[in-house]
Amino acid sequence: ATLKLSHVRPQDTAIDVDATRFADQVSAATDGEIKVKIFPASALGDYTVVQERVGLGAIDMAVQPPASGADKRFQLVYMPYLVKNWDDAERVFAKGSPMRDVVSELYAKQNIRVLGAWPVYFGGIALNQEVPNAADPTADKGAKLRVPPIKTFQLTADNIGFIGSPLPFSEAFTAVQTGVVDGVMGSGAEGYYASFRDVTKYYLPLNTHFEMWYLLINEEIYSELDEEQQAALNAAAEQFESARWETARGDQARNEKLLEEAGATILPVSDEQINKTAEIVRKQVWPEVINDIGAGWATDVLDRVMK
Amino acid sequence: MIEIALLAFAVLVILLTLGVPLPYCFGAGLMVMTLVGEATMRGMMLWGFSQLTNPVLLAIPLFVFAGTIMSVSGIAGSLLNFVNVFVGRVRGGLGVVASISCAIIGAISGSGLTGVAAIGPLLIPEMEAKGYPRAYATALIANSSILGLLIPPSVTMIVYGWVTDTSILACFLATLGPGLLIMFNFSIVNLVVSRKFPLILDQKLPFDKLMREAGKRTFNALPALLMPVIILGGIYGGIMTPTEAAAVAVIYALPVGFMIYRGLTWKTLLESGKESATAVGSILIMILFSLMLSQIYVLEGIPQALVDSIFAITENKVVLLILINLFLFGIGMVVNDITAIILTAPLLLPLMSALGVSPIQFAAIMGVNTAMGGVTPPYASILYLGARIGKVKFTEVVKPAMMLILFGYIPVVVLVSVWPDLSEFLPGLFGY
Amino acid sequence: MERLFRYVLTALISLVALFQFVQVLTRYIFELPVMGLEEMAVIPTIWLYILGSVNASREDTQIRANVLEIFLKTDRSRAVLLAISDLISIIVSVWMTLWAWKYFSYALRVWKETPTLYIPTFTYESALFIGLVLMTLFTAWHFWRNIAFLLGWRKTPDHPVDDDYPETPEVQEFQVLSDAHEESKR
Ligand code: NA
Ligand code: NA
Repeated sequence: ATLKLSHVRPQDTAIDVDATRFADQVSAATDGEIKVKIFPASALGDYTVVQERVGLGAIDMAVQPPASGADKRFQLVYMPYLVKNWDDAERVFAKGSPMRDVVSELYAKQNIRVLGAWPVYFGGIALNQEVPNAADPTADKGAKLRVPPIKTFQLTADNIGFIGSPLPFSEAFTAVQTGVVDGVMGSGAEGYYASFRDVTKYYLPLNTHFEMWYLLINEEIYSELDEEQQAALNAAAEQFESARWETARGDQARNEKLLEEAGATILPVSDEQINKTAEIVRKQVWPEVINDIGAGWATDVLDRVMK
Repeated sequence: MIEIALLAFAVLVILLTLGVPLPYCFGAGLMVMTLVGEATMRGMMLWGFSQLTNPVLLAIPLFVFAGTIMSVSGIAGSLLNFVNVFVGRVRGGLGVVASISCAIIGAISGSGLTGVAAIGPLLIPEMEAKGYPRAYATALIANSSILGLLIPPSVTMIVYGWVTDTSILACFLATLGPGLLIMFNFSIVNLVVSRKFPLILDQKLPFDKLMREAGKRTFNALPALLMPVIILGGIYGGIMTPTEAAAVAVIYALPVGFMIYRGLTWKTLLESGKESATAVGSILIMILFSLMLSQIYVLEGIPQALVDSIFAITENKVVLLILINLFLFGIGMVVNDITAIILTAPLLLPLMSALGVSPIQFAAIMGVNTAMGGVTPPYASILYLGARIGKVKFTEVVKPAMMLILFGYIPVVVLVSVWPDLSEFLPGLFGY
Repeated sequence: MERLFRYVLTALISLVALFQFVQVLTRYIFELPVMGLEEMAVIPTIWLYILGSVNASREDTQIRANVLEIFLKTDRSRAVLLAISDLISIIVSVWMTLWAWKYFSYALRVWKETPTLYIPTFTYESALFIGLVLMTLFTAWHFWRNIAFLLGWRKTPDHPVDDDYPETPEVQEFQVLSDAHEESKR
């Protein structure tokens, strides 16, 4: 059988390389019985639609961020400043963690199985002009940031001294390039290098959120495979994930370097500033989001996850 | 699977020839792919529909609506007077006025129909009175009306940018150079052709009178001339996205139409609203089903297979560019601009990038070819509208129209293919 | 019906323009982007597209290449061609409506919500099925009118064609452009 796997980045990017290796391993382990065909660059639709299509079995697999359209509890995964650094992230998001169980349960309700994950980066802010005190969350900067049309990002931007402008990804580049907005939030160095490098003059690595992509497969399609094939998929997924944890930090640093080479200045951000920002966001943004997605469920999960 | 894809395409073309509406032609293609082939429709409606929520598409109805309101509001008179004061007194100048005025209207409207609709009713009778044959005047204005699609904003470039994932602002700029060149060509061709017409010329004004007149007419035309400034300045100056600019254009056009030029009435507003909405509805339902078909093609790997099988025949860039231009010319003869782009852009783009043609240059190649389709019979919407407005039988307009296409338009089509800078220079200035 | 579509479609397109206009105002003049404005705007936008298309089916101005029609010279032969194309359209339209129904019931079952205001997306996802049903019905109505003309039950063809002034759907759709100046002369 040939499994179609969708991801959101262009060919030859880190995820594309890793996904291709995953495909090769699966094919080798099953003597070519299972082939994984990769569709890069959101060729099959943006991740929200692809998630639904995987749920329906129209697309077999995907590796991408969770979409909260069908279940707003997915917003919990995006909670800004849920983790502040890589050590936190590895503890909270790793395989076998309470967080992974929660995410798997949520996906299971969409008829989707989580095979593994791919830690991407910590988010930051790309700016197309100099903004004084950019890293100080208490300074009113008066700068407009394009944020993804998701409540958590809008609230975060507004509460740390920026003006959040929700714009869909399709309009984001044009908006920054022409100066409709002064910068972008919602992605990390890798994302900005891929899509915004020509317009990024400053990059602020504020660790706004931790981006985690999940390797997904439609539940029925998975259960139709025989045990050996399932084992092959799981083994390859395991390697896909553990290899990435090894390289993720370095990859983030590499992408910041690439941004710098493309002409951007990386703004210095101290741990203290990150802590201060996190404190504000947790106090101002979290209650609202927790309320939206169901206070009982969310606080319970957060308690378990943050332990 | 490529055989079934070709079968689907053949069925599509047959139904299209029978006059089946395009959305159903694409639907029939989908039926072939899923009922004869092994593709699945599962989740396809969901996917296609989600594409429609892209706000970029909203610029289409809004630019069409703004252009229609401006056109019925009677701005044309003031624009004509404005352009006329500068070139109207030269021999053959009135024809140049036609071309330039259509270009200005083109900078307001996103559609190819608006120029002839706005300028035609006033200028055709005047040109006839001054000695131009009526059929020639009609053909000239109808041909110049195409500039609406080449001078930004442009509905076809929005569609192209959207289906090929190219920056719409870059696409807008890609056809601007060719558009201005076509305007220039039409003016030259007109000056040459009109030498054999028995023209009556306006008297030359003394300089001081001319200046006073120019000032007065500029003032009258100002509200109309401001519109492109707001739209393009707003977009390229970083104040608005194209969609927002289109909306601002609509909101701006309302008081200008109602209160300044006064051609806009409740009746024409309602009519314009309904017709713009209907136009966009019929465009988007077609796009919806065409997208589903090309998505199935992508899932089955058809575009790449197509490129491979074409390259198996020849990899010669010149030969392929000539063939593609001929192909687009043929497509343009039988369908309108947007349909032509929807039909061919997703299939041709992989081929073009394999040939080393940039998506921006290809935007211009597609742009000039498909826009020309509006005046090439048998399916020639802009020419038909021109005939109706000029009250000249279609058969009479065809001959002068073909002459203008041959000497004014075709040279630019050739240039766009062989000279990348013509389309890439302006976008390059803006960093695309 | 004509009046209904006139008012509804103009209201929708104006509303959509207004939403975008407010977006610009709040973002640049008041520097206070309204959260979720574009989520609200999606609803009239999608209904504008779908009802616009329904009206195109009603007026029989869906985009088509009436190439063959131009070469046919009698009303009768044209009516035959139109009836054939209508019949094919109906078959395809019914098939697509069935798939749209599956989507409709899926959207109803999953009941997705928008990311900031949590507006149910069913408010606009339901449009496709409803629109396709109406399009199918209007196509059937035109099919009936062509058949009635062929059987001699109607005196005038559904689609009179003028050889001196041929038309395409776009030209028909933008009647207002060619009519406006007639109006002003009167
Ligand atoms: Na234009
Ligand atoms: Na044509």
